[in-house]
Amino acid sequence: MTIVSIHADRAMARQVVWSGDRPGDPIQTSRRDGDTAMATGEDDKARFARIVLPHLADAYSLARWITGNRTDADDVVQDACLRAFRAIWSTADGNPRAWVLTIVRNTAYTWLRKNRPAALVGVEDLEAVENAQAAHGDAEAETPETALIAKTDSAHLEAAIAALPAPFRETLVLRDVQGLSYREIAEVTGVPIGTVMSRLARGRSQLIKSIGRKAS
Amino acid sequence: MTRSVVHDDPTRLVHAYVDGELDPANALALETRMATDAGLAAECERVDALQRLIRQRLPREAPPPGLRARIEASVGMRRPRVQPTWRALAASIALTAMVASGATSIVLTPTSLVRAPDRTDTVRDAVVAGHIRSLMAPQPFDVASSDKHTVKPWFNGKIPEAPRVVDLARDDFPLAGGRLDVVGQTPAPTLVYRHRKHLISLTAVPAAGQATTAPVLRTLGGYNVLDWTEDGIAYWAISDMAAADLDKFATLFRAASPDQ
Repeated sequence: MTIVSIHADRAMARQVVWSGDRPGDPIQTSRRDGDTAMATGEDDKARFARIVLPHLADAYSLARWITGNRTDADDVVQDACLRAFRAIWSTADGNPRAWVLTIVRNTAYTWLRKNRPAALVGVEDLEAVENAQAAHGDAEAETPETALIAKTDSAHLEAAIAALPAPFRETLVLRDVQGLSYREIAEVTGVPIGTVMSRLARGRSQLIKSIGRKAS
Repeated sequence: MTRSVVHDDPTRLVHAYVDGELDPANALALETRMATDAGLAAECERVDALQRLIRQRLPREAPPPGLRARIEASVGMRRPRVQPTWRALAASIALTAMVASGATSIVLTPTSLVRAPDRTDTVRDAVVAGHIRSLMAPQPFDVASSDKHTVKPWFNGKIPEAPRVVDLARDDFPLAGGRLDVVGQTPAPTLVYRHRKHLISLTAVPAAGQATTAPVLRTLGGYNVLDWTEDGIAYWAISDMAAADLDKFATLFRAASPDQ
């Protein structure tokens, strides 16, 4: 893309003049609004409208699943959109949805920490949660038949997902509700792909068992 | 997944398999394994059933209606809507009185004062977008003709009912052509008239069952927009020409007989 190359050239020139760094290093200069705006004719608002606004429904849905209620989700999404607007030139055009969802997720946890610290008890230490989940629960519950899973109604399903521990819940929502790839989920949640895999496997089997318990 | 996951927990691999995240070699190895391992095959079926359940049963919730507008306002993309005050209320009552009197009222007020329903806002945005897009296209119409007997039949076969087309050339508003815009998911016939150097888009949006209303003028994105409803059709006239000229155009269009 020409925009990127113009940009890289300028950044490179700046680097050479100022620091003389090794040319092969990734360029870490902060973008200046003027540069890209001049190159594309796009202003902050137009870029925001193109990159952020199309993903509002996904943003709201993720915020609701993380915070657990609509009012909080509303606040989180507004806050996240402001942050995205201020950082609108810090993202390349690569994957706007993953970028927006990353901001929404981080905003949601910051928001919960500040306003609903009780909701985060036990969530901060993700490893402890995962180990605790693995230690109890998994062994004792019966695994339901496929036919039983298919008969679950919406309300039970929603409640069962809401009851999952936060790390499992967000991974499952990003994959099974919003359809992100493992790589995108790793990017949004800031963990390795292997962790995404194990959280999905654990979250889903816990969900399946919880559905089975309700049905029986 | 490109790295080798052969030594991973096979249950985890089943999840990655259902998600289409295994590379072909690992997928094949797992399929071979599932053929003989009933436990793994059952896990695969359960994950598949769970995903289907989520797709079919989990309610999709749209963001609350005002959220987008509040976000746009917070980044300065639009002015925040003011709550109607007694002053605005009084103005809207006055407006209603003027409209009811049958006069073509030109009301130059901020749109926040005359609070139109959201559905109307959506239609207005769509017809204005249609006008702007047409100005950027190689030509602002799909059928170019100043003859209404050419323009009107062009719509036949494309939409259920061709729009009302009138000839206003004698009044210095010659017909330039027609095109189809899309409002929501409905094709809406649009007539393009000229007035000196200006173009006017007149979009007819089906509005069955809606009461007749007199023209109301607004401005949007630098364009004057005049809309009125007549015979179950909402007409939207958009142009960059002066409000008074647009009002004259609307008056002439409404007065003219389509069969003349």
